[in-house]
Amino acid sequence: MSTTTAESSPAVNWEPRIIAYCCNWCSYAGADLAGTSRIQYPPNARILRVNCTGRIDPEFILVALEMGADGVLVSGCHPGDCHYTSGNLKLRARWALMQKTIEQAGVDPRRVRLQWASASEAQIFADGVKELTEQVRKLGPIRSEWK
Amino acid sequence: MTEKAEPRIGVFVCHCGHNIAGVVDVAKVVESAKSLPHVVLSTDHMFMCSDAGQQLIKDRIKEQKLNRVVVASCSPRMHEPTFRRVVEDAGLNRYLFDQVNIREHVSWCHMRQPKEATDKAIDLVRMSVARAAELESLPIKSVSVTPRTLVVGGGIAGLRASLDIADRGFEAVLVERMPELGGHVRKWTHLFPADESGEQIIAPLVRQAEHHKLVRVMKDSEVVEFGGYIGNFTAKIKNHKTGMVKEVDVGTVIVATGFEPFRPFGYYEYGQHPDIITLAELQEMTPRADLIRPSDGKRVKKLAFIGCVGSREAGKLGHEHCSRHCCSAVAKAAADLRDRVDEVVIMYQDIRTYGRGHEELHRLARSKLVIYSKFPKEKKPVVQIASGRIRITWYDVLSGDNLEYEPDLLVLASAMIPPADVAETSKMFSLTRSADGFFNPEHIKLAPLTTHTAGVMIAGAAQAAKNASESVVDASGAAAKAVGLMARGNVEIESTVSHVIPELCSSCHTCVTACPYGAIAMDTKKSPPVALVTEAKCKGCGTCAASCPSSAIIMYHSTDEQILTMVEAYLCPSTQTTGGVA
Repeated sequence: MSTTTAESSPAVNWEPRIIAYCCNWCSYAGADLAGTSRIQYPPNARILRVNCTGRIDPEFILVALEMGADGVLVSGCHPGDCHYTSGNLKLRARWALMQKTIEQAGVDPRRVRLQWASASEAQIFADGVKELTEQVRKLGPIRSEWK
Repeated sequence: MTEKAEPRIGVFVCHCGHNIAGVVDVAKVVESAKSLPHVVLSTDHMFMCSDAGQQLIKDRIKEQKLNRVVVASCSPRMHEPTFRRVVEDAGLNRYLFDQVNIREHVSWCHMRQPKEATDKAIDLVRMSVARAAELESLPIKSVSVTPRTLVVGGGIAGLRASLDIADRGFEAVLVERMPELGGHVRKWTHLFPADESGEQIIAPLVRQAEHHKLVRVMKDSEVVEFGGYIGNFTAKIKNHKTGMVKEVDVGTVIVATGFEPFRPFGYYEYGQHPDIITLAELQEMTPRADLIRPSDGKRVKKLAFIGCVGSREAGKLGHEHCSRHCCSAVAKAAADLRDRVDEVVIMYQDIRTYGRGHEELHRLARSKLVIYSKFPKEKKPVVQIASGRIRITWYDVLSGDNLEYEPDLLVLASAMIPPADVAETSKMFSLTRSADGFFNPEHIKLAPLTTHTAGVMIAGAAQAAKNASESVVDASGAAAKAVGLMARGNVEIESTVSHVIPELCSSCHTCVTACPYGAIAMDTKKSPPVALVTEAKCKGCGTCAASCPSSAIIMYHSTDEQILTMVEAYLCPSTQTTGGVA
């Protein structure tokens, strides 16, 4: 199997596993453009397409962390640029509370990253994946943190 | 709505020639999918989108009685519609298809890590298979198309599009912000490649549009509100002079809002001397026998042009693109004006006279002894103003000499950039923009005139820097797209809307305030009143589903289960049963 299971020993051969929720209209397209532009970035993220970041229930992030994701990236349209007018603002409103929640559960909030990347901002998308991967690599496997 | 039958999933992995297979070990991906739950078939093809690839999918659906299809290939933003059609041809509901992006998101961005890329592809396929098992068929809905097109912008593209639509018997509502139709072209004195002025080209179009009984021209007007969905849009149009707001129902829209000539403050002393002007400003000078200096009205004897001003600047956002019209426009203007001045010097970075008849203009300019001098892109000419005189010094690549020149008039061929209010236009019609600031087409090669907002087309310089002839080609194409929709009379729309389960709704109103479209209201016929979605208004963002504290809202095709099963398939594959269908 290609992935390490949550229980396997860290440090040795451990690679950060990242779930990336991307909105269809801006960031998923930005990630497409990163590919088309042959921008190279770490292969640690698995992109899940949602129509809008407004679709992202904080539960999606919590469940991912609980199942062993070492990091979660949420990438959407810039505020004011949402394909659905304001879905990204709804997500942003939930974000602070969600961060508090994971912090209280003992998880370092630096494992989750919210970024805005438009359909033309391939580099911003790729840099986001790179920075979160590096950040999570420093923090180590998530299993060490759950209380 | 529920699929009762046990899922029978077929996995089809595409090589995309060398694009995927050059990095990803396709055979390994195919093999790993075979042992996934509900997978009855896993296979590959050189080009899954080709006729042969499509036929393969159709044949296997029938032979293996597949009821779910996963294709691992390019971005769904590219070929989801193609493969949805394929599974539909084979009798499957289009929503029982899922696409895995192993090209844009894998092989192209991890080109030097074939092992990791293959692992990622395997994971993504496993996630998609898990999602496929949870997919449900949805009803295919179609709506009628109002036989009227809103054309935004009365420049050469908007005019051509309106006339094409009207000539085919459909109504066009042409909205122009300025008091006159004709846009930039109308003002231009040297319009390449023909020997006509902009006015001569545009006047007949303006006349036809204003007299055509199916074109409703609204000048001094702007779209102030826009809503609805493909086939059924409503726009509010405000007249600046009268303050009157009119509402029109349209089925399709063509955005032809054009460009703005860049005013290059900070480049070559622009703005510091009245005799340093842009190409657009030169074009707008009143034609007369002599070319005169704006500063003192004296005859221009020495005329200079500098090319690529604010264009082709790597790393400078909004100015990286080639503005495409300037090389030919400069050649045309220089050739025309050469007869009225003593000397013309053109300083250029490169010459790109690519269109039909354009190279001939370049040659004509040279044959009239217009002096072309190439400067290096890393060392642009330097303009100084000393006691009222303009002095240019630069390095000439071909002679290897440092040169200097004191022109009476310096013309800067400045970039085409989007209009100042492009962000508002983009928001109004839900259009995305490219790095150059212009609107993104649905697909750069395959769908350059349609956008990701179904029913909204783009034409002309609103899409990218381009010349008048190219804008007209766009306009006729976009008009054909609009007419195609209107002639059919109805169009299929996405069924991915949200639905409230009345029994679970706690009447908290959270979704009512969360919905950006006012698509959810309380159904007062129920007691207590519960939330109810008006499907025609729902655009499928899913914000309501994420905000419902009672989990009473299902977002079709993007349910909590369909999303979380992918997360689980990636992170905890062992908890899911393995092996094909029993």
